[in-house]
Amino acid sequence: MVELVPTLLRQELARLAEDDARLDGRGRWEGREFTLETNCLYNAEGSAKVVMGGTVVYAGVKFELRTPWPDRPTQGSLMCGAELRPVAGRKYEPGPPSPQSIELGRVVDRGIRESGCIDMESLCIVPGEKVWGVMIDIHVLSDRGNIFDACGLAAIAALRTAIVPAERFDVGDDHKLQIKGTPIMASFTRVGGRFVLDASEQEELGGDERIHITLGDEGHLHSLQKGLRGVFTPAEFAEIFEVAQTRCVELRKIVAKEEEN
Amino acid sequence: MGGYGDVQLLNDDGSRLDGRKLDEIRPVTIEAGILPAAEGSAMVTHGLNVAVAAVYGPMEAHPRKIQRQDRAVIDVRYNMAPFSTSDRIRPGFNRRSREISKVTAEALESVVLVERYPRSKIRVEIEILAAEAGTRCVGITAASVALADAGIPMRDMIVGVASGKIEDTVVLDLDKAEDNYGQADLPVGILPNTGEIAFLQMDGDLSLEEYNLAMEYNFKAAKEIHEIMVDALRRRYDGGEA
Repeated sequence: MVELVPTLLRQELARLAEDDARLDGRGRWEGREFTLETNCLYNAEGSAKVVMGGTVVYAGVKFELRTPWPDRPTQGSLMCGAELRPVAGRKYEPGPPSPQSIELGRVVDRGIRESGCIDMESLCIVPGEKVWGVMIDIHVLSDRGNIFDACGLAAIAALRTAIVPAERFDVGDDHKLQIKGTPIMASFTRVGGRFVLDASEQEELGGDERIHITLGDEGHLHSLQKGLRGVFTPAEFAEIFEVAQTRCVELRKIVAKEEEN
Repeated sequence: MGGYGDVQLLNDDGSRLDGRKLDEIRPVTIEAGILPAAEGSAMVTHGLNVAVAAVYGPMEAHPRKIQRQDRAVIDVRYNMAPFSTSDRIRPGFNRRSREISKVTAEALESVVLVERYPRSKIRVEIEILAAEAGTRCVGITAASVALADAGIPMRDMIVGVASGKIEDTVVLDLDKAEDNYGQADLPVGILPNTGEIAFLQMDGDLSLEEYNLAMEYNFKAAKEIHEIMVDALRRRYDGGEA
């Protein structure tokens, strides 16, 4: 069965792309307006709220004491999960975690983990016995497109403001989570045949594959993901990578500015 | 209601630890229409509690067996975010959230004009982002504002509010310590315009006199919170003038 609305929408998006235009009037590499707020939730040891266009996402950090993995007795652990609950939109249904939410959580997780911004050794309390487990939970409240970038930003901003609650667990004084670096994700969606930055809900509905790039402070790649049906060329990747570099530097500055406040 | 007597909850002069009077609520702020993906939404902060509600529908009721020929069903999901409490909560439903969802749905079905939408479903999603005692009440308040924001016709909004007993004294709107170490908790959902009650739970130990006083406090608080709810909707639709 042909889905009528996406078909018409695809035609419209293709027509707009000929003039290098977008549905909401943005430039091809222009992101939507967004706000970042940190330390906004009681009980979370670190928290952040990101509003990106009509997309609203919260991230919260919790800590727990656990025994280290046998092969890594001096390292703590990190877990990052995302929930796409029915609150986020009409299309989301209750039930066990969907493949979409698992992909989302894992892509954000890889970007943070592989950037090495958290020194796992610094999470060790007693080697072989007691380490910190850091858990980042991402809660999508409103999906109006590009939840990946909103989630990535919320997760790292929440982590960067997190306080290790050592006093509550009786293992020393509360202290800031040691974190060096701010990995940032930039996501691109093929719309009307070419990639655009920060796709809206409509562009995702009438678009094709997406590519997520997470870059560290030095501009190095830490996580890549291609999602949905479609193919791209190395030349296309080279083009969006350049945009990603600029975008990540911009967003990193905003995270740093929010931390100062 | 564990541990009564172990913890001091009232100062020697009879005032509460956070300085509130016995019949004083925590600060409440409400914002309507905060989630662009939803047809109606609201965020309520009540003390340190943060609750968000989103409304979708009326839409076709699925699965078919939940359909009612003569009215809409309201499908409520009350959920606590993993980071909303002191110890992380594992994602997913538990017995507590299922029960709260059920009685909240039944309360909302008593005020929404469900007969207008036979065979349909109205989805109400309540997400608790930060919990500091009284989240089910804050969730009901948020759900009511979200339903109004979605333009769903209702006889009245429901205000969620609780009173309880600490150190043999009835107090309005228990905070976390008062809830943990108090002797009773009486959360209710009040229709401020009609004076009716759509939601009622209680646990602990109350005499009839104490119940009556707690209920009196609840009605007083419902009036105050109702004004904030109406104000939030006015700000969204009237451009600010109350």
